[in-house]
Amino acid sequence: MIYLDSAATTLEKPPSVARAVARAIGTIASPGRGGHQPGMAAAELIYRCRELAADLFQAPDPDHVVLTNNATHGLNLAIHALVRRGSRVLISGYEHNAVTRPLAARQAEVVVAAAPLFQSAQSYQAFAHHLEQGVDVVVCNHVSNVFGWRQPVEEIAQLCRRYGVPLIVDASQSAGILPIRCAAWGAAFVAMPGHKGLYGPQGTGLLLCGREGRPLLFGGTGSNSLSQEMPDFLPDRLEAGTPNVCGAAGLLEGMRFVKERGEAEIFRHERRLCQRMAQGLEGCKAIRTYTGPDQCGVLSFTAEGWDCEELAEQLGRQGIAVRAGLHCAPLAHRSAGTLERGTVRLSVSAFTRAWQVDQAVERIVALSR
Amino acid sequence: MLYYLILCRSLTYAQRTARVLERAGVSGYVQKTPKAISKGGCGYGVKVSERRLAEALQVLRREGMAPKQVFLQEATGAYREVQP
Repeated sequence: MIYLDSAATTLEKPPSVARAVARAIGTIASPGRGGHQPGMAAAELIYRCRELAADLFQAPDPDHVVLTNNATHGLNLAIHALVRRGSRVLISGYEHNAVTRPLAARQAEVVVAAAPLFQSAQSYQAFAHHLEQGVDVVVCNHVSNVFGWRQPVEEIAQLCRRYGVPLIVDASQSAGILPIRCAAWGAAFVAMPGHKGLYGPQGTGLLLCGREGRPLLFGGTGSNSLSQEMPDFLPDRLEAGTPNVCGAAGLLEGMRFVKERGEAEIFRHERRLCQRMAQGLEGCKAIRTYTGPDQCGVLSFTAEGWDCEELAEQLGRQGIAVRAGLHCAPLAHRSAGTLERGTVRLSVSAFTRAWQVDQAVERIVALSR
Repeated sequence: MLYYLILCRSLTYAQRTARVLERAGVSGYVQKTPKAISKGGCGYGVKVSERRLAEALQVLRREGMAPKQVFLQEATGAYREVQP
C-alpha cells in the first residue's frame, strides 16, 4: 500500500516508537501515584517527554507542557481557558472544526480574517485590520490541514503581542516540520497532536502553555489531594486522571526521531515530495491542484468528472490511501471555494519515498483522463 | 546519614528541581512526601544529603525555584522543619 494520508496520522513510525510502547505496557505504572519503581519509572518517562517537548518547542519549562489526547483536546482546553460567551474571537479562514466547534459551543462571536488561499500578505493584513478593531482572542493554525498553506504565524504573533491579545496556535500540521517557538511568539497556548509529525501513537498530544489554564476535567492528580479543587499549578491543573503513559513512551521516541532528523530536513523532504506530486498532476488537464508558496507536505486536488470521495475510494482499492471530502475543515473549503465539491488530499511524511508519490500520481492521472 | 527533604508542589516540579540540582552537580532523589509532613495530601519532594543542602538552596534560588518548605530527616527517621 502507498500511504498518503499523513496529515491525518503518520502510519509509518520510527521502529523505536513501537518498541517503546511495548516495553512501557509491561514495565511501567502510573506517574504521580505510587512511589514504587514502576510508578517512578512512569514519572521519569513522562517528565522526559515534557522536557524534550519544552526544548523542541520553546515552552517556558517542562511544567508548562500538558499531555493531551490529541490536538483537539488541547485546543478545547485553550479555548476553555480564554473564551467566554460573547468573546470576540479572530480566526483564520482555514481553521479546523477542532477550533470552530468549541468556539460555537461557547457562543463566541467569531470574526474571520478572510484571505485568498496562499496569500500570506493578505492574511496578515486581515489579522492586522481586525486586531485594530478590537478582539479578545486570536486562534490560528500554523499550517492548513487541507491545503498545506503555512500561515504567517510569526507575524500574527507579533501583532498579538502588540495589541496585547492572547494567541492560540493550532500546530497540528506543523509540529515536527516547522519551528514552533511558544515563548518567542508569546503564545498563550500551542496545541499539537502526537500522532502526526511527531510520530507518536494515536491518542497522544501536547498543549504548550504560555499562561495558566482552566480545567475541563476534574479528578485525581497525585497532588493536593485534600483539596476538592484542582491544583492551581501546571501541569496538574489540566491533567486529571492517569495519562496515556504507553502513548507518551512512543511519543518520546517520536520526538527524539524528529530532533535527530531535524525539522528543517523533514520539511525539505516533504516539500520536495509535494512539489513532485503537484508537477506530476499538473500535466493532466482534468486535474486542478491547489498549490502556492508557503506550502508544506499537503496537496489538495480535484479531478473533472469525479466525485472526490469516489476517486479516493477507487484509489484505495488500488492500494493508495488518501483522504477526500471536507477534511473536518468546512471553513477552509469555503474560504478556498471548494466547499461544494471538496477535494482529494495527498499528504506525506518523513518516511514517504519518491517512487511512492510517482506511482500514486501515475494512477491518479490514469483515472482522471 | 542525615537528609533534607525539599518539598515541591507537584511531581513535575520535584522532577524539575532534581534536574536543576543534577545539572549543578548536586544529587537529588525524587520521592513521595511522608504523610506526616504533607499538609495538602499527596505530594513529592527532593531528598538531598545534609552536606549539600546549602549548595542546593543556592542553586535553586539562582534558578528562581526557591523551596517553600525544607525538612530535616533525623537519624530517628522523624522530620523537623528547618528554615530554607
